[in-house]
Amino acid sequence: MKKIKIARSVGLVIVAALVAASCTTHASKSEFFGKISPPEGQVLRYVTGSEPESLDPQMSSGQPEARIDMALYDGLAEYQPKTMEPIPSIAERWVTNEDASEFVFFLRHDAKFSNGDPITANDFVYTIRRGFRPELASRLAYLGYDIKYAEAFNSLDSFVRDPQTGRFLLASEAAPPSDGAKGDSAAPSNAQPAAPPTAAEQEAQLQKRLAMKGEDAARDTDFHKFIHSPERLVVPSDEKERQKAFKANPKLEALVAGKELVPVRAEDIGVEAVDDYTLRITMRQPAPYFLGLVPHQFFRAIPQKVVEKYGVNWTKPENFVGSGAFKLQEHKPYNDLTVVRNPYFWDAANVHLDKIIFYPLEDNTTIMNLYKAGDVDATFNHTVPASWLKSGVRYMKDYMDAPENGSAYWQINTTKPPMNDVRVRKALNMAIDRDALADYRVVSKPNNTFVPKGILHGYPLLQGFNLDVEGAKRLLVEAGYKDAAGNYDPKKFPADQVEVTYNTNDSNRQIAEFVQSQWKQNLGITISLRNVEWKTFQDLRSKLQYKGIAGGAGWTGDYMDPFTYLGLFTTNGGDNGTGWTDKKYNAMLDEANHEPDQAKRYEMLAKCETYMLDAAPVIPLLKPATSWMKKPYVKGMYPNPGTLHAWKYVYIEHDSAKWDQGMPDMTTDQLAELSAKE
Amino acid sequence: MFRFIVRRLIVTVPMVLIVITLTWGLIRLAPGNFYSTDKKLPPAIEKNIRTKYGLDQPWYVQYGRMMSNIVRLDFGNSLKYENETVNDILKRTLPVSATLGILAYLLALVVGVFFGTLAALKPNSKLDYISMALAMLGISVPNFVLGPILVLVFSLSLYWLPPARWDGFPSWNLVLPVLTLSAIYMAYIARLTRAGMLEVLRSDYIRTARAKGLSERQVIVRHALRGGLLPVVSFTGPALAILISGTVVVERIFAMPGLGNYFINANLNRDEPLIIGIVAFVSIAVLIFNLLVDVAYGFIDPRIRY
Repeated sequence: MKKIKIARSVGLVIVAALVAASCTTHASKSEFFGKISPPEGQVLRYVTGSEPESLDPQMSSGQPEARIDMALYDGLAEYQPKTMEPIPSIAERWVTNEDASEFVFFLRHDAKFSNGDPITANDFVYTIRRGFRPELASRLAYLGYDIKYAEAFNSLDSFVRDPQTGRFLLASEAAPPSDGAKGDSAAPSNAQPAAPPTAAEQEAQLQKRLAMKGEDAARDTDFHKFIHSPERLVVPSDEKERQKAFKANPKLEALVAGKELVPVRAEDIGVEAVDDYTLRITMRQPAPYFLGLVPHQFFRAIPQKVVEKYGVNWTKPENFVGSGAFKLQEHKPYNDLTVVRNPYFWDAANVHLDKIIFYPLEDNTTIMNLYKAGDVDATFNHTVPASWLKSGVRYMKDYMDAPENGSAYWQINTTKPPMNDVRVRKALNMAIDRDALADYRVVSKPNNTFVPKGILHGYPLLQGFNLDVEGAKRLLVEAGYKDAAGNYDPKKFPADQVEVTYNTNDSNRQIAEFVQSQWKQNLGITISLRNVEWKTFQDLRSKLQYKGIAGGAGWTGDYMDPFTYLGLFTTNGGDNGTGWTDKKYNAMLDEANHEPDQAKRYEMLAKCETYMLDAAPVIPLLKPATSWMKKPYVKGMYPNPGTLHAWKYVYIEHDSAKWDQGMPDMTTDQLAELSAKE
Repeated sequence: MFRFIVRRLIVTVPMVLIVITLTWGLIRLAPGNFYSTDKKLPPAIEKNIRTKYGLDQPWYVQYGRMMSNIVRLDFGNSLKYENETVNDILKRTLPVSATLGILAYLLALVVGVFFGTLAALKPNSKLDYISMALAMLGISVPNFVLGPILVLVFSLSLYWLPPARWDGFPSWNLVLPVLTLSAIYMAYIARLTRAGMLEVLRSDYIRTARAKGLSERQVIVRHALRGGLLPVVSFTGPALAILISGTVVVERIFAMPGLGNYFINANLNRDEPLIIGIVAFVSIAVLIFNLLVDVAYGFIDPRIRY
């Protein structure tokens, strides 16, 4: 009998504890979430997301890795902790030529690797060249394709040389005839005009590109002359691929016949150490957005000697040498990764933390459990499960809710009826109440344009798609979905030809169901939903095999510039996924990117976006908002648009009077201006 | 006996190879690649990756390379974590999963056998009903419900135990995952023990033992349990094999760096060498544990002889 009593009392304890648990969650509303007890000393325990696939900054493509890389490696520039704009780091300053096709970085003289070796311009030349090596097969290489000849080198292409004269053929000579020949992605760069420029024009152009004044003008060198000579023709070195290129551009075959192929070498890429502390990067075309990419881990300095000595194992803790504020101490995969202060770091005096422990965790509930129990100090983005948010976590003072550099939208298969009709695409866009959707989704803000509104300083706020049910119906009537009397008739719409295909995921499902009900309510059209696994989804989308609409696409900006979004539609392949391309649009983008004045350039890009939205190949829905938590004693860490933290600014505040009582102050001049507009 | 074992081991080899071949084929049928991410790669980069990992070669070359690796018991490098070999990963994760699995099974064995026996001794008593009701509960409450409840109570309300993460052995971090993991086995074992014991206690040799005047304790511990536990023994083989080779859900909830956690990610990442390594390991484990069970039968059950 005694046993029964024990069982009973155990049961009672469990019930009592459950009741207590539910009480405590309610009681602590609007204060902080869970236990607040700062760790001793300057140690940060941070949840960074899934296990890093690699600690080699040029091989690790995801956000979890990016955050660790930011501790281990330093670049020419670092992300500003609030706005993510590039701020000087190893490069003390930089200058740009007039059309933003060349950048000169002036390096500080005291930058060192974590083994004490100095970091010079040559290390950056090595790093950047390595990133494009075909045998390295980095997934990030595309980030630097605008550097002259980088894409050709990464693609195993060759220059074409006339064996008699030793002259290299130029890209302009092979420009496809303008009469109707379609630009094909397989064809070599067709950026050059068809008619070869005259010598005088070339000289004028060269002068323009070189225009840097006074002390900023880095020494002219032989390499510099080479890299500014007219762009050479490149063709695939591989026989089969070359034949393909020939097919796409018949002129090419005749040109290349009888010529010798000279493979593009790493040394041909537009990266040059002018001297030990001056680095010059030359682009194939104006690329004003490149500076925003410079802090990316792909361009952060790695130690040549160590990389060459240990090969793929150079990032193991026993071999590791880095360039960042911290160095790798211990790595237990799937459990924790510890970095400690790097005494050789050029700015070591201003690094506050002694140690950061990164926890590679993926399960959101587990992450929040650890956070609540006080075992971790901060989490990465989108870690708070929706049900927790609704139960009040979103009102707590340690919840980080700020707009992100991203855009959630649906893609439309513009190649198949009925969606090949722009009126249908627009009508569907106009029949969605995005405010209601954002409200329902909680961790999102409505977005009716493609480039997320109000995040990029100085970019115009466009009109976009607004809820207009009558207008949508009018468009559908125009498209022929009407009864005999000419009124809108939803039964005429071939709803069975359209479905929303999305990749299996709770939030995708919720959004899809919401939009489905909006269309049903507003237009009387029932469009079915279909969920498929992620990799299958990608396959359907890239081959344009989905019916009507692909839901679940999100685009996170690679850098802080509208072009990271607008550039998606310049080719048919890649992430476009809609089948919509437009020559005029491409020309408009190209023109905008040649504009040196940033404000004017943004105006021009905004026109491109308006043009694109008018064709409606997508259904923009939301812009994501950050959703993560940070204990009030963690300072110097901000909910910036990419959730990438420059760790040297972060510290643990032990004086509770100075703790954050809500979101940290995000205002800089620019952000203040933006929030006034919102 | 010896011949039996050898014969069974010989059969194991082709079975594992068949399992691996099927797995390899299924990976190929699954859409997507280990290198595909949210963003579509330019064709040149995709080609570089395919060349680097030999994916540009015909399927029979890839299959042959994989098989020759496996025969040498070297599963190669993981595709996702390129500076780690599959063997390293197995070596690192197996102790984690095995610690959890063995602890959970031992706990389940002790508690399950104890309550199962008690219940069998006094069938239809209150004790019997309560322990069997609890066992039924244990079987029906899935571990993805039990785990979070335990965390909610002991970590987030009482702040007694850490809610997740591996911190070596022994540590307080183990308590909740082991409890969660063992609940269902505890319940099964209790029911199996009760059923087995009820049957044995009615048999003639127990009556003989009692007639000899042995104490009740001796009757149960020395005679009845041996026969009554036979169903538990046959349950142990597959159960241990599954427990040791990683339990996906519990490792996920408690963020344990074990085989199960790797296995699920390897599948999501289409990390072929890692998937094949883990599948090979798990199938070998299952076959060997089943063999061990059969061998153990020979010792426990006097009716079985090889």
